[in-house]
Amino acid sequence: MGCAADNASKDAEGVAMKQARRWLLLATALVLLPQGAYAQKKKATKGTAPAAAPASADADADSPAAPAAATTPAPAPAGADDTGAPAAAPEGVGAPAGEAPGGMDICQITPDAPQCQAAKEFNLGAEAKKVVRAEIYAVQQQYVLKSGRLEIMPYFEFTLNDQFVSHDAPGLALNYYITQVLAVGLNGNFYQGLNSPSDFNFQNRRAARISVPLNDYQLSGDLNFTYVPMYGKFAGFGDFIFHYDAFVEGGLGIIRTEPIPVIDPDNRKFDWKNHVNFDVGIGFRIFFNRWLAAVLEVRDIIYDESIEATTVAQGSPTLPLNSPQNPLNPATWYDPNSHLTNDVQMQVGLSIFLPTSFDYQLPK
Amino acid sequence: MKRRFVGAVLAAIAAAGVLASAQTASAQEIQLTGPLKGAPAVRSMRMYREGRFEIAPAASFTLLDEYRRTILAGAQLTYNIKDWLGIGVWGAAGVLSLTTDLANEINQTAPRDPLTAINVNHTGDPTAMPPQTLGPANFNDQTAKISYVIAPQLTFIPFRGKLAIFNKIFVDTDFYVAGGVGFVGIQERAACGGGGSQPLCASPQSFASLASETKVAPTFGVGFKFYLGDLVSLGVEYRALPFSWNRSGFDSRGSGPGNNFPDGQVNSQDDTFRFNQLVTVSLGFSFPVHPKISQ
Repeated sequence: MGCAADNASKDAEGVAMKQARRWLLLATALVLLPQGAYAQKKKATKGTAPAAAPASADADADSPAAPAAATTPAPAPAGADDTGAPAAAPEGVGAPAGEAPGGMDICQITPDAPQCQAAKEFNLGAEAKKVVRAEIYAVQQQYVLKSGRLEIMPYFEFTLNDQFVSHDAPGLALNYYITQVLAVGLNGNFYQGLNSPSDFNFQNRRAARISVPLNDYQLSGDLNFTYVPMYGKFAGFGDFIFHYDAFVEGGLGIIRTEPIPVIDPDNRKFDWKNHVNFDVGIGFRIFFNRWLAAVLEVRDIIYDESIEATTVAQGSPTLPLNSPQNPLNPATWYDPNSHLTNDVQMQVGLSIFLPTSFDYQLPK
Repeated sequence: MKRRFVGAVLAAIAAAGVLASAQTASAQEIQLTGPLKGAPAVRSMRMYREGRFEIAPAASFTLLDEYRRTILAGAQLTYNIKDWLGIGVWGAAGVLSLTTDLANEINQTAPRDPLTAINVNHTGDPTAMPPQTLGPANFNDQTAKISYVIAPQLTFIPFRGKLAIFNKIFVDTDFYVAGGVGFVGIQERAACGGGGSQPLCASPQSFASLASETKVAPTFGVGFKFYLGDLVSLGVEYRALPFSWNRSGFDSRGSGPGNNFPDGQVNSQDDTFRFNQLVTVSLGFSFPVHPKISQ
């Protein structure tokens, strides 16, 4: 009897032990469940691209990346504000999964939306609270890929540093981007007809009785190399994002100028002369979309100018034309000294990139 | 003629097509649905300005000067009420004044004779009988200069972002527009030829000293602020300070049609409008040291 009671007690204990194992298995499964989900998510981000963000995404298709980003919340570090980086939007932190910020449950309207599908599988609120040490780039993806594209840049330039004659001109630049940051190109300005002597020039002549030699420009053309070391993005009014880059350029070319006869206008008639010039510039480009941008550039065209001589040959015009005393001798018209001239211009224009679309080769 | 018309029509159609396609592209950009709809453009942003006081020692350089360029040392004090709005004052004093090539050229080559006696500094009396030979004196002594500027101003910060340099250096940056009223202390050639105690403009005494005056002018500028850290920022600013003054000390206006001819006097009628421009470089220190971080 006592033995039977002992056996019954052992059976009951065995049943209880079996039941405990089941509970342990269940508890283990519950504990592992979220970790399994986490591992799945990590796979998705660590691999190539999220499901909805193809490795080669068309540049004009911005919006497909957004739903994918919602399933992979990656809080940005405090230092790197995530201007416009959709990946950093932590869906589900402030609102239940699938609920729009305004409070309306969008899963009721579009149950097939990716975040609604994800909400069925994961507790996004709990997932968002986990620390994910994802690699965050300051600028996630360059907005415009320039490599292999042609830039057509019509512009208008204004003289910045000549108070006596302004040399404003329309111009056109063509740059081919060999790489993302380096371009080779041509540009030309046409000044003729737009050279404009200033009132300041007249005031000085009248008051101080001195004449400043002046020159007109006809046209200029340069072969340039452009380097783009800087790019970034701005949030405008905390509401919209725009992208920009900054570039430096340098090159050499030809500029055609002629002196305006000021000292001896009766006898001197100048012709256009070619001068070799060097040019350096720094510019700033704001992108409206992936093929159109506004450009602001300051450029210095540096060359050795031929200016009118401030002295006049005192001999008679009837002397032989090659006489240094003959005021009609063109050799006496130019100042023999060299005059290194800086023509500093501000250029305002548009930048059009062709082809207008491109494919990203990498996800980031 | 007909071909030109057809060409113009085709060009107009092409332009319209380009514009229309651009509008379509921009419409695509704003068709944002799903979880990001209505979300802020920036999250976890360091708000370098809001609630912070900034003191920024600054050096300013005048641009495109005709006769004399000035380097000013000063500071900008700004309290930023919001991340997009600040109120403050910019003050600077002219510490260095350099003459331009044009001023030096006039000084060296302008003739000193009765025709230029009113306008160019000289020695000797051009009215003496028998006539004296006039000698040169420094033209640069009569050219005007900026002594100081004090400008209460509002600063509006519409754009905030970041900059990548060589793909290695990343700097938080903002772009701002500042505007206010400038009180500009200048020194320019004193009035002469107006009778009373004023000397004749042709006499060397009229060039002897510059008179101080304060001009009130609008001022506005645009600039970038590069945040090197929580505490320190580097600023680069372009500023305009348009007002009328007589930079050369010439008698150039006051008689004839439109008062466009010399009248033998140097006074406020000889002031000419100038769009004075400066570039300022500053190093800012913001307090409290640590900025807020947005949601």
